[in-house]
Amino acid sequence: MIGIKSYGAYLPKYVLPRDLISKAWDFPVVPGSKAVANIDEDTITMSVEAGLDCLIGIDPKSIDGLFFATTTQVYTEKDSASLIATVLDFRENIITIDFTDSLKAGTTAITRAIDTIKSNNDIKSILVIASDMRIPEPSTMWEFGFADGAAAILIAEEEFLPISIEDYYSISKNVTGPWKRAKNDNFVRTFEPKTDAQFYFNSMRTVILEILKRNNLNPEDIGHAALYYDNPRLHARLAKSLKFQQGVAQNGLFFQIGDLGTAMSMMLLISALKRPKSNAKVLLVGYGDGADAILMNIEDRKLVRLLSKTHVALGYQKNMEVLDNYTVYLDNKKLLEKDRYTRKSSAVIIWRETDSIYQMYGNKCKTCGLIQYPRMLTSCFQCRTTNNFEKINLQLKGTVFTFTLDHLIGGNYYETPIPRCVIDLDGGARVLLNMTEIKNPEINVKIGMRVELTFRRLHEGAEFVNYYWKCRPERGRN
Amino acid sequence: MARIGIKDKVAIIGADMCKFGERWDKSQYDLLVEATDGAFKDAGITKEEVDAAWVGIFYYFTGLSGTLVEDALRLDGKPVTRCENYCASGMDAFRNACFGVASGAYDIALACGVEKLMDEGGSGLPGFKIFGHPIYPLPSAPAMFSMAATRSMHEYGWTKEDLARVAVKNHENGYYHPKAHFKSKVTIDQVLRAPMIADPLGRFDCCAMSDGSAALIITRPELAESYAHSNDYILVKSNAISVYTMAPWYWPGYDFTQFPATIKAREMAYKEAGITDAPKEIDLAEVHDCFTITELLNCQDLQFCERGKAVEELKNGTFNWDGETAVNPSGGLKSFGHPIGATGCRMITELTKQLQGRAEGRQVPDAKIGLAHNLGGPFSVCSVTILGKRD
Repeated sequence: MIGIKSYGAYLPKYVLPRDLISKAWDFPVVPGSKAVANIDEDTITMSVEAGLDCLIGIDPKSIDGLFFATTTQVYTEKDSASLIATVLDFRENIITIDFTDSLKAGTTAITRAIDTIKSNNDIKSILVIASDMRIPEPSTMWEFGFADGAAAILIAEEEFLPISIEDYYSISKNVTGPWKRAKNDNFVRTFEPKTDAQFYFNSMRTVILEILKRNNLNPEDIGHAALYYDNPRLHARLAKSLKFQQGVAQNGLFFQIGDLGTAMSMMLLISALKRPKSNAKVLLVGYGDGADAILMNIEDRKLVRLLSKTHVALGYQKNMEVLDNYTVYLDNKKLLEKDRYTRKSSAVIIWRETDSIYQMYGNKCKTCGLIQYPRMLTSCFQCRTTNNFEKINLQLKGTVFTFTLDHLIGGNYYETPIPRCVIDLDGGARVLLNMTEIKNPEINVKIGMRVELTFRRLHEGAEFVNYYWKCRPERGRN
Repeated sequence: MARIGIKDKVAIIGADMCKFGERWDKSQYDLLVEATDGAFKDAGITKEEVDAAWVGIFYYFTGLSGTLVEDALRLDGKPVTRCENYCASGMDAFRNACFGVASGAYDIALACGVEKLMDEGGSGLPGFKIFGHPIYPLPSAPAMFSMAATRSMHEYGWTKEDLARVAVKNHENGYYHPKAHFKSKVTIDQVLRAPMIADPLGRFDCCAMSDGSAALIITRPELAESYAHSNDYILVKSNAISVYTMAPWYWPGYDFTQFPATIKAREMAYKEAGITDAPKEIDLAEVHDCFTITELLNCQDLQFCERGKAVEELKNGTFNWDGETAVNPSGGLKSFGHPIGATGCRMITELTKQLQGRAEGRQVPDAKIGLAHNLGGPFSVCSVTILGKRD
């Protein structure tokens, strides 16, 4: 069968309460909050987090493809999927594609993954990751909604899977909005929100009714419906008009997290799977210049519950922290004009040392057994033997051995100074990493503190994004 | 290991330094001339008598190659080599010059160092945007040493106040030195209230950005008899350099409470000089107090006191200018700043004058054996030089 083998999600550390936006612009109070990526995050780094989560217990070398969906890609000429696959340590003989430019890119990527697996004997699994980080124009209604996050779903063909995929149905529709021009537009804009709402309502109804009809199902047969939405009232109206049973259409996420764009419907699905119903039919519906509806069936409720328990730790709003002022949010969206620190860089060195820089491989000395990092160092720290190493995968967690809080380099964090931490990784190797997402580092960075490694934007030297690992206080990634 | 060594084979016959500080109106050429002029006069020679020169320069913007010396002095095509070995660049220039004369290849050599930091502005060492690996974190110099401070405070129970005492002692000494950049005393309270640079090191825990130059004229002892300091030339007892990793933060198990390069250079230098009981035999030391924590760990690594006891001995006055081992009686890097290429030669100049009983600042009473020590990079490169009076 073809279905979902695993899933994972990532929500950034911070949430912005909507009343801070209201206060900043003297708008009426809007309840709830939204997830906000840190200044050193983007759709690629969030996708790495979601991917790591999804692949717990799964060998990354066994995956045959990576489809990445976003409307906020880091590069418009340069594949994000291949970079994410590299960091996740996938094989080279895989397929990678970016699905962009539409909010339904996430669900479209899933439908393409299904067909790719169906039509290729040697492609058995594809990881689909959707992530968005849309920057709303300040002091507009978009600002209350647009939020940041990533969701990952591993589509596979195996004899048995916890969730099977039974059908999908798509429509394509040219609508009047919203849009963002490739040139000239810094922000998403629209012509008339009321017509946008009408297009949403009609497209969603059309695909859902059709897929139900194709599969001889009635609305009451649906156990979980993960329907994209960016307007809770419209979502409620849609669910009511479709005659879904009470509680079937997931609706809590927007209030706390906001509109995750391409990742939204997938995140709603993942959220629903926390409390899976036995043998339930599941609908996943994405919207944007048309709509995709994907019909699934929960094959093994216990297995799904176990998946939800062991995965998605960081997608369940775990250890999220409330931002206490709006300017911090503006800065982290780089909407405040200020000079930012940058270093020189070399794309050649990054390419040559990909295994150390992106994949956190170290060396194990074949003479004395010492595990060390980075791989560019050619002689053993302990026994001094030259070039007698085997490549070894390092663990992404460890303990602070010593540290400093560096004020001298103008950091582009909102928490200055930059904590520079010497970390002893679990299982061996010592690394030097900057710490991110630490409040009051003067008090909170300590010798002996436990940290997790997280893939982040380091600087923009040489006019490209230089990614590397940082550490953060343990957030509870499994 | 069979080796000849250089003990008592090199004599310092002239030494001087320029005024250290923010020398906005002077170039690196001016500073080098200021120092070398003094050294030539001290030795009673002219530049024409110099056979070869070595110059310590760290930054490319101070000068690449030996041409800076040629353009400052016009040595008429004589051999000049630029030495770069992090903060030990100046002392490594001196070391190479020693080999030049000890081997008999040259009779008189000029060893000098110069750095013009302030031309790049004064907020931290320049170049950290363009040095090093493009990705791996590159901490500022204070941050590198702060990692040792954090760990040493954890291991030894030292406090920020303990570190502050180093700054207080060295600024007290520097107050009396006419060539020092800073000539003002500080209190523990002032040190503790200063802005943080790299936690736990504040502004007064760090040496300053500074311009400077120093120069030494060396020859073989048998030739020294015919120059100005025929009766009180100073002998090189040993000169050692040790180089370890540029990235100690990747070194599994490294404890950050000692500097392996210092320990190794000390072992080499003490062996050659025949030092077996450092506190008793060494009267004064100019050690690398780039940061307060560095001086404390140096005192331990150089065996001026037991491991973990540096703060206790500092409080007891052991390292005062009139204590058992005077540490940085000149005022050290804390008072002179750290024009990187110049510092090693500045220390050797200071020792020379101290041992000759003509110190420009506080004269250490009855000094016979002196030690100079540089520590560069993230504890990577250490140079130790031991000087003594002629018998």
